[in-house]
Amino acid sequence: MTAVLEIQDIHKWFGSHHVLDGFSLRVEQGEVVGLLGPNGCGKSTVLKIVCKLLSLDAGEVLLMGQPLSELSYRARGLVGLCTQHSSLYPDLLPAENLHFFARLYGLSDQDRQHRVEELMNRFELENFANTRVGQLSGGWQQRLHLAVSLIHRPKLLVLDEPTSAVDLEARMDLWRLIEGLRDSGTTILLTSHHLAEAERLCSRVALMRSGKVLAAGSITELLARVPGQAVAKVQSADHEAILQRALDLGWQVRQHADQIRLLLPFTFNLREIVDALDGTQVSAVSVHPVTLEDAYLELVGGSP
Amino acid sequence: MQSSQLFLLQTRAVAQRLLLEQWRQKRGLIFWAVFPSTMMLLFGLVYAHNASMRAGLDAAAAGILVGAALFFSCLGGTVAVIAAERERGTLHRLLTTPLHPAAYFLGVVIAQLLLALMQVVMLYSIALLIGAQYHGSVFLGGVILLLSVFSYVGMGFFLGARFARRSEEVVVALSAIGVPLLVLGGTFFPLEIMPQGMQNLAQINPMLHMNQAFKGVAAYGMGLHELRFELAFLVAFCGLSLALGVQSYRHLLDGNKSQ
Repeated sequence: MTAVLEIQDIHKWFGSHHVLDGFSLRVEQGEVVGLLGPNGCGKSTVLKIVCKLLSLDAGEVLLMGQPLSELSYRARGLVGLCTQHSSLYPDLLPAENLHFFARLYGLSDQDRQHRVEELMNRFELENFANTRVGQLSGGWQQRLHLAVSLIHRPKLLVLDEPTSAVDLEARMDLWRLIEGLRDSGTTILLTSHHLAEAERLCSRVALMRSGKVLAAGSITELLARVPGQAVAKVQSADHEAILQRALDLGWQVRQHADQIRLLLPFTFNLREIVDALDGTQVSAVSVHPVTLEDAYLELVGGSP
Repeated sequence: MQSSQLFLLQTRAVAQRLLLEQWRQKRGLIFWAVFPSTMMLLFGLVYAHNASMRAGLDAAAAGILVGAALFFSCLGGTVAVIAAERERGTLHRLLTTPLHPAAYFLGVVIAQLLLALMQVVMLYSIALLIGAQYHGSVFLGGVILLLSVFSYVGMGFFLGARFARRSEEVVVALSAIGVPLLVLGGTFFPLEIMPQGMQNLAQINPMLHMNQAFKGVAAYGMGLHELRFELAFLVAFCGLSLALGVQSYRHLLDGNKSQ
């Protein structure tokens, strides 16, 4: 079956800076694939290339099986882009923004009317039907921005850190809407700084560093690559003693900044951890099941 | 949908959106109407007060329309559109759609043409009410206005794409560039009262030729033959400014793509 998006060994240089260094990724129909990585790792560059906002220097991108380089400007209709900053027309009403973009994509009058009503309803924008976009809160503007990205029923929805500029409540609302899109079969490529966002929304995640994919797989697959069932985070003035005790117990140890992370072979409770570390100078300890953050630290290192 | 149909639909969408935005910006709309109307009324009062200058009223009406109203409306309006698209990030968003660059360009031209038409009606209504007269061919006058609007929009794209990065800069840039051009273009004073050096300099000012061409038709009833030099200059300038505008707009799009 043809993948919605297939990126094959692409390279991009900005001057002497090699931003993408053999990046490859495949996105199948109905998948939500997350790109995670630190600032400057090339996530947004990948998205810009997919949206034809940037050319690539080597490699190939196939969209619905066709080379991106051979698709005309009309092929932009295959992709919908939603970035963190909602770029909309502030003096127009929400539906007027939707109608405007629908016309740019060539939707017929009847289809346009139907689609605008459908999206106004789906994104619960009817209550703000008579409010100019510039007067909406950031969260509602982003909701509308997401709706605009979907106006032409794209084959691939590209979300570039869609919730990073909104407050927590709006973020939760947007997550719910994106989950709805995922459940209705929309294919999504998403970048995010929030590991919890990726964990909640993505069916597959690609972890990036220095312009290439270091690890990719489903959340379960990535979690399985952490050599432990649970993680204990320990704060102590005496790292050496903690390290020695962990080695004695056969636990693997990771150190990130001031924090010691013990990768536990079983799911211990907090009492058992405290007992096991008895006699060392522990000032704080917590234990939790392995998360995507642990997988990220294990496979990429550093913070996303 | 065929490419030509899509092109027309996109052009209409851009023009409609710009007009709707203009309509919603009530304060801007008031200034858009008040500025040329006030100028017309003030000049009308001056000419009415001095019987010996009465003949100058017809030329003043033509000069204010081409030199002041359309300059600020079409050139200033286009620069403001580009600066706003840039500032709001909508230019970047438009690049992700199948909007044809020429459809966008044409959409802006159509919106500015319609706004210009409204200014012509508004300003000439006031001018006729206070006693000014239109003497020449309406068709020729229309052609000159059309060429002037195209020239202004082309220059607007050029200035907007190359220089105006923020909306606030538009007012400053227009004042800095526009007002000297208006003065040297004979909008406010006849060229004859200027020193010879200024008169020579004015000859390379395209606004002078727009002014003289439209004044020639509207105030003195001149025809195609008498205005051939002004018209030739205007056609050449229109072509140049549209070419510059298109080239600058492409440059802007390429720049935005790589951001």
